[in-house]
Amino acid sequence: MDFRSLFTRKSKTSDIATQRLKLVLTQDRFDINEESMKKLQFELTQVLAKYFQFTMNSVSMSLKLDGNSYVLMADIPCGRINPEQ
Amino acid sequence: MGKVIVITSGKGGVGKTTSTANIGTALALIGKTVAIIDADVGLRNLDVVMGLESRVVFTSMDVIDKRCELEKALVKDRRVEDLMLLAASQRNRKDDIKPEQMKDICERLKEEYEYVLVDSPAGIEQGFHNAAAGADEAIIITTPDVSAIRDADRIIGLLQNQGIDGINLILNRLSPTLVRKGNMISKNDVLDILNIDLLGIVPEDTGVIASTNRGVPLVHNEGSPGADAYMRIARRITGQNIPIPEMREDNFFSQIINWFSRKN
Ligand SMILES: Nc1ncnc2c1ncn2[C@@H]1O[C@H](COP(=O)(O)OP(=O)(O)OP(=O)(O)O)[C@@H](O)[C@H]1O
Ligand SMILES: [Mg+2]
Repeated sequence: MDFRSLFTRKSKTSDIATQRLKLVLTQDRFDINEESMKKLQFELTQVLAKYFQFTMNSVSMSLKLDGNSYVLMADIPCGRINPEQ
Repeated sequence: MGKVIVITSGKGGVGKTTSTANIGTALALIGKTVAIIDADVGLRNLDVVMGLESRVVFTSMDVIDKRCELEKALVKDRRVEDLMLLAASQRNRKDDIKPEQMKDICERLKEEYEYVLVDSPAGIEQGFHNAAAGADEAIIITTPDVSAIRDADRIIGLLQNQGIDGINLILNRLSPTLVRKGNMISKNDVLDILNIDLLGIVPEDTGVIASTNRGVPLVHNEGSPGADAYMRIARRITGQNIPIPEMREDNFFSQIINWFSRKN
């Protein structure tokens, strides 16, 4: 038996529940479907294409969980700035 | 013109029917005109919780199929004036009713009654959509546990998507002792997570089971913690500004006082 466990209080189950809930809800709330993700990628690159030169199929985009929140990761290799800008 | 409020939760068994019966009765006790609708087609319960099961002759299905007038299908409460129940059909299934038909019933009832409460079935399918179809506002019931809160969040998303603005929360079956011991999610954590307004807290109260056994809503038993909580909730719904008291733990003395003042 680990004697330290006699002195350190076990973490509260309510805190564990709250942490798990926060995580599961961020996942639920960002449960975006494949189709919407493709649409988002398309519309976003339309805007970017006004400013940069790049090939559409070199773009990759995804939502990643970072701690307690989601970040949108976009990997867009850019060529030169469009001369009109 | 009255107001239609849907009482819903996502997860089953968290206290929707209990809350509908008690809030409806409480509103009528403070002098409002109220109609309560059981939208749990196929699994109706509101009639037995209200103690009105022997008076039910017609259901919302009979109204929809034009076998009977809406006014005739309403069952008058046995104890309070101006409290009416529209029962659900036990023989039908939830998808036998369409959202527009429920909406139509709600719209007609709110011309006559100040409050129309709709007891929603659990789940996020057709039964829920029917119950929410005519709603101006919503009350979400949750208990302080992970799965109930998760489902509540899902329901809130669906209601917001439907354009319902006034969405309020009732936290049911809270036990201050368990919260203090760190074994139950606290009110503040629930509010922080769900991010909607709190309408009230109903404590865990053994009186709820006794009142369901008798078919007499808890609010008739003035002085019990659950009854007082539901009375305050009803007053808040009517616009009175009643603060939400911090929950007290049942200590030895309050238990003795309760024991002596219990009306059996
Ligand atoms: N505050 C409370 N204290 C103690 N027991 C409660 C409380 N609220 C509800 N209950 C009990 O929980 C059970 C479920 O309640 P109820 O039928 O109201 O839930 P529901 O959400 O309508 O369920 P369903 O999803 O099946 O329609 C009942 O047995 C009831 O007595
Ligand atoms: Mg129910």
